[in-house]
Amino acid sequence: MTTDSRKFAKTQDEVKTYLGKKREETMEIDGTVIRAFCECIGDPNPMWKDTAPPGLVTTAMISSGAMLIGVPLLYKRSVAGGADWEFFKPIKKGDVIHTTHEFSALEEKSSDKGPRLLMVYKSSHKNQKGEVVAISTNTIMNF
Amino acid sequence: MAQVYFDDVQEGQDIPTLEKTPSRRTLVMWAGASGDFFELHYDKEFAQSLGNPDVLVHGRLEAAYLTQLLTDWVGEKGTVKKVSVQYRGNAFPGQKLLMKGKVTKKYQKDGENLVELEIFVENPEGKKITPGSAIVALPKK
Repeated sequence: MTTDSRKFAKTQDEVKTYLGKKREETMEIDGTVIRAFCECIGDPNPMWKDTAPPGLVTTAMISSGAMLIGVPLLYKRSVAGGADWEFFKPIKKGDVIHTTHEFSALEEKSSDKGPRLLMVYKSSHKNQKGEVVAISTNTIMNF
Repeated sequence: MAQVYFDDVQEGQDIPTLEKTPSRRTLVMWAGASGDFFELHYDKEFAQSLGNPDVLVHGRLEAAYLTQLLTDWVGEKGTVKKVSVQYRGNAFPGQKLLMKGKVTKKYQKDGENLVELEIFVENPEGKKITPGSAIVALPKK
Protein backbone atom coordinates (compact mmCIF):
# COMPACT_ATOMS: atom_id res chain seq x y z
CA MET A 1 0.00 0.00 0.00
CA THR A 2 1.24 3.47 -0.74
CA THR A 3 0.36 6.53 1.24
CA ASP A 4 0.54 10.09 0.10
CA SER A 5 1.73 12.29 2.92
CA ARG A 6 2.40 15.28 0.72
CA LYS A 7 0.76 18.63 1.38
CA PHE A 8 -1.01 20.48 -1.40
CA ALA A 9 -1.79 24.17 -1.85
CA LYS A 10 -4.86 25.52 -3.63
CA THR A 11 -3.17 28.46 -5.34
CA GLN A 12 0.27 29.55 -6.42
CA ASP A 13 -0.02 32.50 -4.04
CA GLU A 14 -0.34 30.07 -1.17
CA VAL A 15 2.94 28.38 -2.25
CA LYS A 16 4.51 31.86 -2.49
CA THR A 17 3.86 32.56 1.18
CA TYR A 18 6.51 29.92 1.93
CA LEU A 19 9.28 31.84 0.09
CA GLY A 20 12.13 32.63 2.48
CA LYS A 21 11.13 29.92 4.96
CA LYS A 22 14.18 28.22 6.47
CA ARG A 23 15.20 25.07 8.25
CA GLU A 24 18.46 24.31 9.98
CA GLU A 25 20.25 21.07 10.64
CA THR A 26 23.59 19.87 11.91
CA MET A 27 25.65 16.88 10.97
CA GLU A 28 28.90 15.53 12.38
CA ILE A 29 31.27 14.17 9.77
CA ASP A 30 33.14 11.24 11.23
CA GLY A 31 35.29 8.56 9.60
CA THR A 32 32.31 6.22 9.34
CA VAL A 33 30.29 8.72 7.28
CA ILE A 34 33.21 9.25 4.88
CA ARG A 35 33.92 5.52 4.60
CA ALA A 36 30.26 4.55 4.02
CA PHE A 37 30.03 7.15 1.25
CA CYS A 38 33.25 6.02 -0.48
CA GLU A 39 32.34 2.33 -0.22
CA CYS A 40 28.92 2.99 -1.68
CA ILE A 41 30.06 4.89 -4.75
CA GLY A 42 33.18 2.74 -5.09
CA ASP A 43 35.78 5.48 -4.69
CA PRO A 44 39.03 3.94 -3.38
CA ASN A 45 41.03 7.21 -3.66
CA PRO A 46 43.42 7.33 -0.65
CA MET A 47 42.86 11.12 -0.43
CA TRP A 48 39.54 10.42 1.31
CA LYS A 49 40.82 9.52 4.71
CA ASP A 50 40.83 12.72 6.70
CA THR A 51 39.11 14.72 3.98
CA ALA A 52 35.63 13.98 2.66
CA PRO A 53 35.19 13.78 -1.11
CA PRO A 54 33.20 16.79 -2.38
CA GLY A 55 30.51 14.38 -3.56
CA LEU A 56 29.50 13.90 0.08
CA VAL A 57 27.65 17.22 -0.20
CA THR A 58 25.35 15.67 -2.84
CA THR A 59 23.87 13.29 -0.26
CA ALA A 60 20.34 13.75 0.96
CA MET A 61 21.34 14.15 4.58
CA ILE A 62 23.49 17.13 3.73
CA SER A 63 21.70 18.87 0.92
CA SER A 64 18.13 17.65 0.70
CA GLY A 65 16.75 18.42 4.14
CA ALA A 66 15.19 21.42 2.44
CA MET A 67 12.21 19.24 1.59
CA LEU A 68 11.41 19.17 5.30
CA ILE A 69 10.60 22.89 5.20
CA GLY A 70 7.18 21.57 4.21
CA VAL A 71 6.39 23.75 1.21
CA PRO A 72 3.10 22.50 -0.27
CA LEU A 73 2.92 21.39 -3.90
CA LEU A 74 0.45 22.85 -6.35
CA TYR A 75 0.28 19.98 -8.85
CA LYS A 76 0.21 16.20 -8.39
CA ARG A 77 3.55 15.20 -9.84
CA SER A 78 7.00 16.36 -8.85
CA VAL A 79 10.51 15.34 -9.82
CA ALA A 80 13.98 16.64 -9.10
CA GLY A 81 14.77 18.83 -12.10
CA GLY A 82 18.38 19.60 -11.39
CA ALA A 83 20.91 20.64 -8.82
CA ASP A 84 24.14 22.44 -8.44
CA TRP A 85 26.83 22.37 -5.84
CA GLU A 86 29.54 24.94 -5.24
CA PHE A 87 32.48 23.74 -3.15
CA PHE A 88 34.45 26.41 -1.28
CA LYS A 89 36.45 24.44 1.27
CA PRO A 90 37.08 20.75 1.85
CA ILE A 91 35.07 19.04 4.56
CA LYS A 92 37.42 17.38 7.04
CA LYS A 93 36.89 14.40 9.30
CA GLY A 94 35.63 15.75 12.62
CA ASP A 95 33.90 18.79 11.10
CA VAL A 96 30.42 19.70 12.27
CA ILE A 97 28.40 20.94 9.32
CA HIS A 98 25.56 23.38 10.00
CA THR A 99 23.20 23.69 7.10
CA THR A 100 20.59 26.36 6.52
CA HIS A 101 18.02 25.36 3.90
CA GLU A 102 15.83 28.02 2.35
CA PHE A 103 12.91 27.89 -0.07
CA SER A 104 14.46 30.59 -2.22
CA ALA A 105 12.57 30.96 -5.49
CA LEU A 106 9.42 30.00 -7.33
CA GLU A 107 9.17 30.17 -11.10
CA GLU A 108 6.15 29.64 -13.28
CA LYS A 109 7.17 27.58 -16.33
CA SER A 110 3.86 26.67 -17.88
CA SER A 111 3.86 25.67 -21.53
CA ASP A 112 1.62 23.89 -24.03
CA LYS A 113 2.49 20.71 -22.11
CA GLY A 114 0.58 22.11 -19.16
CA PRO A 115 1.16 24.10 -16.02
CA ARG A 116 4.49 23.71 -14.30
CA LEU A 117 6.23 25.26 -11.30
CA LEU A 118 9.94 25.30 -10.56
CA MET A 119 10.63 25.34 -6.83
CA VAL A 120 14.19 26.31 -5.93
CA TYR A 121 15.82 25.44 -2.61
CA LYS A 122 19.17 26.84 -1.55
CA SER A 123 21.22 25.24 1.21
CA SER A 124 24.29 26.83 2.72
CA HIS A 125 26.71 24.56 4.58
CA LYS A 126 29.07 25.99 7.21
CA ASN A 127 31.68 24.22 9.31
CA GLN A 128 32.21 24.66 13.06
CA LYS A 129 34.46 27.69 12.37
CA GLY A 130 31.63 29.42 10.54
CA GLU A 131 33.30 29.02 7.14
CA VAL A 132 30.98 28.32 4.22
CA VAL A 133 32.20 24.98 2.84
CA ALA A 134 29.55 24.54 0.15
CA ILE A 135 26.28 25.85 -1.27
CA SER A 136 23.71 23.50 -2.78
CA THR A 137 20.84 24.50 -5.02
CA ASN A 138 18.08 22.02 -5.78
CA THR A 139 15.24 22.57 -8.22
CA ILE A 140 12.03 20.59 -7.97
CA MET A 141 9.69 20.50 -10.95
CA ASN A 142 6.03 20.34 -9.96
CA PHE A 143 3.56 19.66 -12.76
CA MET B 1 47.20 8.40 -11.82
CA ALA B 2 49.57 11.16 -12.88
CA GLN B 3 48.71 14.71 -11.85
CA VAL B 4 47.06 16.71 -14.65
CA TYR B 5 48.31 20.29 -15.10
CA PHE B 6 46.51 23.37 -16.44
CA ASP B 7 49.30 23.83 -19.02
CA ASP B 8 48.54 20.47 -20.64
CA VAL B 9 44.76 20.81 -20.87
CA GLN B 10 43.17 21.72 -24.18
CA GLU B 11 39.67 22.93 -24.97
CA GLY B 12 37.73 20.11 -26.63
CA GLN B 13 39.71 17.43 -24.82
CA ASP B 14 37.88 14.43 -23.34
CA ILE B 15 38.72 13.37 -19.80
CA PRO B 16 38.96 9.66 -18.82
CA THR B 17 35.55 7.99 -18.57
CA LEU B 18 34.37 6.57 -15.24
CA GLU B 19 32.28 3.42 -15.44
CA LYS B 20 29.79 2.20 -12.80
CA THR B 21 27.11 -0.46 -12.69
CA PRO B 22 25.05 0.31 -9.60
CA SER B 23 23.18 -2.76 -8.30
CA ARG B 24 20.13 -2.94 -6.02
CA ARG B 25 22.62 -3.42 -3.21
CA THR B 26 24.35 -0.16 -4.23
CA LEU B 27 21.00 1.66 -4.03
CA VAL B 28 20.36 0.31 -0.53
CA MET B 29 23.90 1.34 0.49
CA TRP B 30 23.27 4.80 -0.99
CA ALA B 31 20.00 5.09 0.93
CA GLY B 32 21.88 4.34 4.15
CA ALA B 33 24.97 6.39 3.35
CA SER B 34 23.03 9.39 2.04
CA GLY B 35 19.90 9.41 4.16
CA ASP B 36 17.51 9.18 1.20
CA PHE B 37 15.00 6.50 2.15
CA PHE B 38 12.42 7.23 -0.54
CA GLU B 39 10.88 3.84 -1.49
CA LEU B 40 11.13 4.66 -5.20
CA HIS B 41 14.76 3.55 -5.01
CA TYR B 42 14.46 0.09 -3.37
CA ASP B 43 10.80 -1.06 -3.36
CA LYS B 44 9.92 -2.35 -6.84
CA GLU B 45 6.16 -2.52 -6.13
CA PHE B 46 6.18 1.09 -5.01
CA ALA B 47 8.21 2.15 -8.07
CA GLN B 48 5.77 0.30 -10.34
CA SER B 49 2.78 1.93 -8.65
CA LEU B 50 4.22 5.22 -9.89
CA GLY B 51 4.49 3.88 -13.43
CA ASN B 52 8.17 2.88 -13.46
CA PRO B 53 9.34 -0.51 -14.75
CA ASP B 54 11.71 -0.94 -11.80
CA VAL B 55 13.31 0.98 -8.95
CA LEU B 56 15.29 4.03 -10.07
CA VAL B 57 18.92 4.87 -9.45
CA HIS B 58 19.05 8.00 -7.24
CA GLY B 59 19.83 11.09 -9.30
CA ARG B 60 22.10 12.25 -6.49
CA LEU B 61 24.10 9.02 -6.75
CA GLU B 62 24.70 9.89 -10.40
CA ALA B 63 25.78 13.37 -9.28
CA ALA B 64 28.17 11.75 -6.78
CA TYR B 65 29.59 9.60 -9.61
CA LEU B 66 30.10 12.72 -11.73
CA THR B 67 31.90 14.36 -8.82
CA GLN B 68 34.17 11.30 -8.60
CA LEU B 69 34.81 11.55 -12.36
CA LEU B 70 36.18 15.04 -11.64
CA THR B 71 38.13 14.29 -8.45
CA ASP B 72 39.78 11.34 -10.23
CA TRP B 73 40.81 13.66 -13.06
CA VAL B 74 41.99 16.75 -11.10
CA GLY B 75 44.12 14.65 -8.74
CA GLU B 76 45.54 15.62 -5.40
CA LYS B 77 46.55 19.15 -6.40
CA GLY B 78 43.35 20.07 -8.21
CA THR B 79 39.99 21.04 -6.74
CA VAL B 80 36.41 20.69 -7.87
CA LYS B 81 34.73 24.10 -7.57
CA LYS B 82 31.28 23.57 -9.00
CA VAL B 83 29.06 20.79 -10.35
CA SER B 84 25.66 21.35 -11.98
CA VAL B 85 23.35 18.61 -13.22
CA GLN B 86 19.97 18.30 -14.85
CA TYR B 87 18.00 15.12 -14.29
CA ARG B 88 16.58 14.27 -17.72
CA GLY B 89 16.18 10.48 -17.68
CA ASN B 90 16.15 7.48 -15.39
CA ALA B 91 18.73 4.78 -14.77
CA PHE B 92 17.92 1.32 -13.45
CA PRO B 93 19.98 -1.09 -11.32
CA GLY B 94 22.23 -3.38 -13.35
CA GLN B 95 22.72 -0.84 -16.14
CA LYS B 96 26.26 0.13 -17.01
CA LEU B 97 26.58 3.92 -16.67
CA LEU B 98 29.37 5.91 -18.24
CA MET B 99 30.39 9.21 -16.67
CA LYS B 100 32.07 11.39 -19.25
CA GLY B 101 33.51 14.88 -19.47
CA LYS B 102 34.87 17.26 -22.10
CA VAL B 103 36.85 20.45 -21.52
CA THR B 104 34.89 23.44 -22.87
CA LYS B 105 36.99 26.37 -21.65
CA LYS B 106 40.20 27.15 -19.78
CA TYR B 107 41.07 30.53 -18.27
CA GLN B 108 42.73 32.25 -15.35
CA LYS B 109 40.73 34.26 -12.86
CA ASP B 110 41.66 35.72 -9.46
CA GLY B 111 44.92 33.79 -9.50
CA GLU B 112 43.26 30.46 -10.19
CA ASN B 113 43.67 28.23 -13.23
CA LEU B 114 40.11 27.28 -14.07
CA VAL B 115 38.78 24.68 -16.44
CA GLU B 116 35.12 24.36 -17.42
CA LEU B 117 33.74 21.05 -18.54
CA GLU B 118 30.63 19.57 -20.02
CA ILE B 119 29.86 16.44 -18.00
CA PHE B 120 27.16 13.80 -18.35
CA VAL B 121 25.96 10.34 -17.43
CA GLU B 122 25.38 8.11 -20.46
CA ASN B 123 23.06 5.09 -20.24
CA PRO B 124 23.50 1.80 -22.19
CA GLU B 125 21.41 3.21 -25.07
CA GLY B 126 23.91 6.03 -25.44
CA LYS B 127 21.49 8.66 -24.08
CA LYS B 128 22.75 11.52 -21.93
CA ILE B 129 20.39 10.99 -19.00
CA THR B 130 22.08 13.44 -16.63
CA PRO B 131 23.87 16.24 -18.47
CA GLY B 132 25.62 19.00 -16.63
CA SER B 133 28.65 21.22 -16.32
CA ALA B 134 31.53 21.69 -13.93
CA ILE B 135 34.33 24.06 -12.99
CA VAL B 136 37.61 22.77 -11.59
CA ALA B 137 40.90 24.43 -10.64
CA LEU B 138 44.17 22.83 -11.70
CA PRO B 139 47.80 23.41 -10.68
CA LYS B 140 50.25 25.04 -13.08
CA LYS B 141 53.67 23.55 -13.78
